[in-house]
Amino acid sequence: MSRPFSAFRANARDHRAGILVAALSSAFGVALVGGVDVMAAFIGGSSMGERASVQLALGIVAGIFFVVAVYVGAIVTTNTFATVIAGRTRTIALLRLIGSSARAQRRSVAGEGLAVGLIGAAVGGAAAAALSLLAVRLLMMTGVLPEAQYPVLSVLMVPPAIIVVLTTWLASWVGSRRVLTVTPVQALGAAQERPAAAVRSRGRLAVSLALILSGAALLVLGLLLGTGAFVRVSATLAQLSSYGVLVALPGGILSFTGIVLAAPFFLPAVLRAVGLFFGRGAAGRLAAANAVRNPERSSRTAIGLVIGVTLITMFVVAASTWQALIRDAEAREPGMYEGADGIIGGTMAVFTVLVGFSAMIAACGVVNTLSLSVLQRGRELGLLRALGFTAGQVRRMVLAESAQLTVASVLTGLVLGTLYGWIGAQSLLGMIPGGGVLAPVLPWPFLAAIILGAALLAVVAALAPTRRATRVSPVAALAVE
Amino acid sequence: MELTLTETVARVEAATKTYGTGAGRVNALDGVTLGIPAGRFTAVMGPSGSGKSTLMHVMAGLDSVTGGRVFLGDTEITSMGDAELTLLRRRRIGFVFQSFNLVPTLDVRGNILLPFELDGRRPTREQNEWIDHLVDTLGLGGRLTHRPHELSGGQQQRAAIVRALATRPDLVFADEPTGNLDSRTGREVLGVLQEAARTFGQSIAMVTHDPVAASYADHIVFLADGRVAAERPQSSAEEISSFMLGMEARA
Repeated sequence: MSRPFSAFRANARDHRAGILVAALSSAFGVALVGGVDVMAAFIGGSSMGERASVQLALGIVAGIFFVVAVYVGAIVTTNTFATVIAGRTRTIALLRLIGSSARAQRRSVAGEGLAVGLIGAAVGGAAAAALSLLAVRLLMMTGVLPEAQYPVLSVLMVPPAIIVVLTTWLASWVGSRRVLTVTPVQALGAAQERPAAAVRSRGRLAVSLALILSGAALLVLGLLLGTGAFVRVSATLAQLSSYGVLVALPGGILSFTGIVLAAPFFLPAVLRAVGLFFGRGAAGRLAAANAVRNPERSSRTAIGLVIGVTLITMFVVAASTWQALIRDAEAREPGMYEGADGIIGGTMAVFTVLVGFSAMIAACGVVNTLSLSVLQRGRELGLLRALGFTAGQVRRMVLAESAQLTVASVLTGLVLGTLYGWIGAQSLLGMIPGGGVLAPVLPWPFLAAIILGAALLAVVAALAPTRRATRVSPVAALAVE
Repeated sequence: MELTLTETVARVEAATKTYGTGAGRVNALDGVTLGIPAGRFTAVMGPSGSGKSTLMHVMAGLDSVTGGRVFLGDTEITSMGDAELTLLRRRRIGFVFQSFNLVPTLDVRGNILLPFELDGRRPTREQNEWIDHLVDTLGLGGRLTHRPHELSGGQQQRAAIVRALATRPDLVFADEPTGNLDSRTGREVLGVLQEAARTFGQSIAMVTHDPVAASYADHIVFLADGRVAAERPQSSAEEISSFMLGMEARA
């Protein structure tokens, strides 16, 4: 155990983002466990049986959100490690030259991953446990929760932390794949940047297409059931119509998994398209080229954010569409849906916050990937400065790069989320009285908040790298490595 | 030391550059006075640590001097700020480096046109003809859409030379331009630089420690310990070598 930590200590700077992501995921998991326990005690009251069933139901919901957060966190960590490795090529090549094997090198990197996971999970978990205790105390003092003994701390808080350690370790292993391709000769030559090896294998494309197509078929079936398209065909099918959403749900999971897998195939194109809007000047054009110079890395950076935005948008669109439907119905038959409006709004808010956590982890990934990739481009920035790039142009270039990544991810997420949200609402509600074919509702305040959030993220992600990039001396480009 | 009477495109007067303080203090330039003749190919020679790279950096506006004055043409650049120097480099100076000359994300054409793009202008018809001429002369015609990693070292260096010459800058700085090339490709690149000076009257200052490279130049400046040790007209590689050995012996 001492070896991973010594390798970790030597490269601690590289791992700040990894630790942050692990800490956030672990804190989220621990807080969810605490929240579920308290809620179950609150709702279930003193009846042990009722408490257990409420706890199970809440636990499943919380588990889904935790899995999403851990998944996004793993993507971010994989990316972080891949980027760190790219920057260490020279050092790894030198160690290989002296006689270290590629496998030993990779094991050492994975060891750092384990250390990152352990530290992050412990810090995040402890912080969340302490905060949960504090929050319950505060809620009792303010009278929101009735005075009682709440089981805030439990053994169940340990598994989420362990899951985070394991996924971080796994992510570092996957992210360090590139170590195996470093040759000792790279320590000698003036290594020219080569395009990243294609991850866009045919197998990956085939699997993702199969997932997307089968998922889409189920979605369409769910939609048809939900809109009542089969009612006239047969009575048996008409009876099934209320189960539209149960058909659409697996379709959504399958097709979205396919889309996430297919990210390296289509996200670079989206990035390129968005890049066209950033002007034809040198700064904009270089930024556009930079955003896709490593399609694998930018796709992975973007996909985390796409997942977060898609899920948030999906909940918001589904709930808003539902709300609009119920308000219509309420207007026609007052009293029939009393209170439903508030419940939907509340549920939507809770879900949005829970998914928002994953989006936050994804945002950390965007900030980190951009910082690291700018950091690794010291010589290139020096060359540009020598050739006459002003500090302002460098700043604009990095900002455009960041904006491109953010805008492309958010746009993709909005489109996908609206689609999924609408399908969900349609298949669930198309057959209830007053249903029919629903129009998706994308509330303006939400849209404004998303756009504002994206702009903020683009600026924040560019802050540290621009500071660093404008400090590069043109002489750096002339230095012979 | 008196400046030579031929017209100079760039000069330094009593330039000093010191790094560090106390015991770690290094005088990279120790009172250099020197003019780069206009329209000619000048080699700045010297052993490692002679200050030749530092001299190039301060003359090209990449670094500032600790004392003395630096001129490009009639413009004094000694105390220019970063923004002014950036514009100066963009418009009046060209660069060819030892390695990492090209932006990896741009193809050859994009790299060649980069100085124009940075300025937010398109090349005029005349400039386009000039670029086409350079591209043809240097045999890059079929490579314009290739990215740097698809080119050999010699082709990359020639693309960098086209970029450096494209804006017809006052002065092109070449920092060990053959350092990373095999000797045949190196000779080719040196021939191109020599031609550019002879045919187009392009002023070029090349920093090198290689006597063979310096033998292509019209004018050779020898630097040692941050001072100008000697200046020579065009010489053979043998003459330059023996002169440098003599310098070592005297030191």
